[in-house]
Amino acid sequence: MQYRDLVRKAIWSAIYLLFILAPLFALLAGNLPPARNFGTEFSVALGYTGLAMMGLQFGLTARFRHVTEPWGEDVIYHFHRRISLMAVGLVVAHPLILIAIGSPSLALPDSVWDIPWGARFAVLSIGSLILLVITALWRQQLKIRYELWHLSHIVLALVAIAAGMLHMVGWGFYLVDPLKRTLWIGMTIFWIGLLFYVRLFKPLFMLRRPYRVTEVRTERGDTTTLVMLPDGHAGFRFKPGQFGWLTLWASPFRITGHPFSFSSSAEAADGRVEMTIRDLGDFTSAVKTATAGQRVYLDGPYGAFTIGNPTDMHVLIAGGIGITPMMSMIRTLADRGDTRPLVLLYGSKTWDSLTFREELETLKTRLDLKIVYVLSQPPEGWTGETGRVTAEVFRRHLPPEYAAHEYFICGPDVMMDAIETALGEMKVPLARYHSERYSFV
Amino acid sequence: MRRLFANRLAVATGVIVVVLSLVFAFLRVSSMH
Repeated sequence: MQYRDLVRKAIWSAIYLLFILAPLFALLAGNLPPARNFGTEFSVALGYTGLAMMGLQFGLTARFRHVTEPWGEDVIYHFHRRISLMAVGLVVAHPLILIAIGSPSLALPDSVWDIPWGARFAVLSIGSLILLVITALWRQQLKIRYELWHLSHIVLALVAIAAGMLHMVGWGFYLVDPLKRTLWIGMTIFWIGLLFYVRLFKPLFMLRRPYRVTEVRTERGDTTTLVMLPDGHAGFRFKPGQFGWLTLWASPFRITGHPFSFSSSAEAADGRVEMTIRDLGDFTSAVKTATAGQRVYLDGPYGAFTIGNPTDMHVLIAGGIGITPMMSMIRTLADRGDTRPLVLLYGSKTWDSLTFREELETLKTRLDLKIVYVLSQPPEGWTGETGRVTAEVFRRHLPPEYAAHEYFICGPDVMMDAIETALGEMKVPLARYHSERYSFV
Repeated sequence: MRRLFANRLAVATGVIVVVLSLVFAFLRVSSMH
């Protein structure tokens, strides 16, 4: 399985690089205009590759299951953020190098009206990219509402790419050749097509496959479970630990969906899925007001956070509402009659806020399951673990062959960072632990 | 750790792209002679 994932990662990386670099090297084919100096040619190459990288961002966020599966959605989204900084860096370096080498192409005409359109589009493209990066990096400090930011993010990206392409076509040079021009315009249409795939084609598909809320269940810890059944179709199969994008009170065409892990067993025969959502403000606060019979839309399943080799001991580490994917794993294993050893380390604030507490205790009778609760605000007389899940807690409750266990971690970023560090110190190889960050978007 | 992996992947991609952009410029300029 790991070897297969490695091969898939290598193939997708090669395809990604090919999509960035092949159109650049295609410019060297056929008849060429006389070459300029090295600095100009290098800066132009950076401009082309920077634009191709920006265009492919639509592919990274297009939720292609085959692409995201070997990596995990969180890695893809983090890569998307990091690579966009690189791409913008390359695009900005393009004019900076031209300035540095004193390129005559940057000489300003006497009147603003004489500035060629190709140059105006370059300014528009770079301006949009800089604005896009600023609003993405400092959205919270700028107090921009998530939905508004998401919309502006898409619009700015579209403007940057369209203006970048118009700059290239307007400037001519390599793209004077009709074949090369067609290639680059075709690439741009393909990138924008990826956006339409997510925002138009996928919502249309979801519209034809709605779900209906059959139960709204109040859980411990200010948490609500939505039980949903496919309405007029068979639904989808998911692996325990995966997640879906939920659209409530809106059409699937709405720009912002909300990712939540499935908390139900993957063995439900009727296509039933459950999502357990904690009230953390914004959208999540309103979930408890959903009503039975309400129509909802689900896009999924996604994610690589799922149980693996049945012979290994599985250590599930949940912080707060990070229990939801673990619950799906535990319920599924119980339904399958799977007897692999399981240890659940479940961190929460208080005894009363432990979502699924009673059911977990019942599930212990059907599984080889050991549960360790770790409370940061324990009640009086509590003799269990307190504080946070740390390396010391691992050492107290796990058999010492630490590197032989399979670890699944889901919870707040701070907890996950601490646990990943602890596992590193315990010499657990990277391939042995799997994590799901619920703040990846 | 997974974020670190994504960071490294992005840096590696950036390095490959810049190196091959240099190769592009070199090929272009060397074809002049």
